[in-house]
Amino acid sequence: MKKLFSILWNICKKLVMTVFVLFVVTFTIYMTNAENKLIYYHISPFLTKHYDKQARDRRI
Amino acid sequence: MNAILKNALGICKKVTDPCIDFIDKKLEKFDPVWQAEHGTGGLRSRYPDDGSGIPRYREWRGVRDTFQDYVAWLRNVGYMGAMAAKSPVHVVKGIWEYRWMGSFLGSFQFVDRIFEGYRGRELDIANIHGNAIVRILTLRIGLILANDRRLGGGPMSDFIIGLDETVPPLFTAGFPTLNAEPMQTMPEFVVCDVDQNLDPYYIDVAESYGLAPDVCSRCSAETGVALDDAFPVFGKLVLSTNQPCNASEATSMFQRRRFHQWGIEDYPFVFAMQHNEQNGHDYTREELKQAIAKIEEVYNVKYDWNALFKAAANMNHQNEIELEKWDIFATPYSPLSGISESLYKLVEWALVNGHDAYFNKVDDKVIQIMRQAVDDKYLPYKGKTRHRAFLWGPSAMYYTDFPTWTQNCWGLTIVLNMDSTMGHNHIDTEDPEKALTDLALFSEKGVMRHHAVGGWDNVDAVWAWAKRLNCDMVICNDNVACKGMNGVHGMLEERARELGFHFMFLPHDLEDSRTISRQEMRSAVNKFMSVVMGEEPLDPTLVEFDDSKAW
Repeated sequence: MKKLFSILWNICKKLVMTVFVLFVVTFTIYMTNAENKLIYYHISPFLTKHYDKQARDRRI
Repeated sequence: MNAILKNALGICKKVTDPCIDFIDKKLEKFDPVWQAEHGTGGLRSRYPDDGSGIPRYREWRGVRDTFQDYVAWLRNVGYMGAMAAKSPVHVVKGIWEYRWMGSFLGSFQFVDRIFEGYRGRELDIANIHGNAIVRILTLRIGLILANDRRLGGGPMSDFIIGLDETVPPLFTAGFPTLNAEPMQTMPEFVVCDVDQNLDPYYIDVAESYGLAPDVCSRCSAETGVALDDAFPVFGKLVLSTNQPCNASEATSMFQRRRFHQWGIEDYPFVFAMQHNEQNGHDYTREELKQAIAKIEEVYNVKYDWNALFKAAANMNHQNEIELEKWDIFATPYSPLSGISESLYKLVEWALVNGHDAYFNKVDDKVIQIMRQAVDDKYLPYKGKTRHRAFLWGPSAMYYTDFPTWTQNCWGLTIVLNMDSTMGHNHIDTEDPEKALTDLALFSEKGVMRHHAVGGWDNVDAVWAWAKRLNCDMVICNDNVACKGMNGVHGMLEERARELGFHFMFLPHDLEDSRTISRQEMRSAVNKFMSVVMGEEPLDPTLVEFDDSKAW
């Protein structure tokens, strides 16, 4: 019984720690606006360069 | 059990509330709304001066509202993740293939900027609506990409009906084994609201092909998408249309050539332009019948009236709530207004149109908040509303975040936009003949149509709406390329004088932000509010700023 409680306690501790770490990471991304900065300053210019190089069939 | 839980929550709140109030008091100087009130900054203070429109950090709204907004953001991340996880190869291929998918990545920033400055119940509703919009868009984009023949196709590739985005899709619920998808909504209409730089590219493609540059930029951009071969490819049939006006007929003619190249048939679903008259309704009713027959023929399926009745019941429920919302809009206590109202309504009506019961749940939730606000005599936007306006505004109001900006800068609440008054008649859910008659009336009052075409009475109705909603102001978007509405300028000005409304024309070029920039649009309001109304801005940081390079 004691062993079972100890296992459950360890799982709970790990779960709480995981949720806490996930919260800290996602809340930091949210508050620092990190995902928008990444998309706007890095991903978008890269994709735009790619789109500008595309050869599109404009015959209709 | 519920009572125990409630008691426990009550006890928890007694402990946490003073802590939250203490933290809020300590951190209030970081709240941009507080900064504007105390002359130490404002909503624009977080932004760099590079025109990017990407703030250095997100808005601090106090503990409760910041956390609420964070949870809504997490949900949106989840919806995006679910879309990518369902069909990762197609989604990556879609981003690589389509320029408009690249623009769609700006959605997080779009949601942030359209709800900037929102607090309390306004933010609650805005985020419920924002989540619903992101959910349905990611579901639909996921479905389109997963079945796009250009990207390899999928199990539904042959079972999708392409619709012009202005054809109300409710009637297609009678084909439960098929999926109706608006052709232009994803490549052009919704994504151009997210990113102002998208449509100018497609407009340039159309103009470099020889299309005149003084036409409606929405139609021009759609033509550009067709010429650039940037429509996703699915289905066997596209219902093109003359909705909302004759500029759409021209772009439909260009688009059908591209669809034909992909082996997709085109069927023109033509609506009566004079949609206030009985013979117009009769005509649309016949057109509906023929469109149904055409789909039955092409897809070899039979129309299922019971399936239609189910979706019509969803639509009726939505419209019952909508009518109640209009009563609440007429009071000063509505926490729902501006872009939170109009964009949600546009998506719920034009894209969902009774097909997804999830939106009924959203409506039920929101109307509860609104009823409570009336009971509590809740004044939204911290009671800072100075004017209430009815807006005659098409899509230029979305990418410019126009209603959010008027609220934050000048305390000017956009109570309702003309597109929110689209088809709201009850649809019979028992008799197919009656349902068809109701559907005709419903479908005629579509996007950019109810108060834009069909005769002077439909445009002139804006004053009745303004009066009904207790507005003291009417704002009319003045599209430099709209031949139809340019013709009624003088008449609208005369009517405003006659009826005693504050009246403003707002110059814009629909989806081409180069002709008239966001700042030029804002400057028109600034001049009106300072010179004509003699007022000072609520937040001086919002009067003039550079967002020329922003999404």
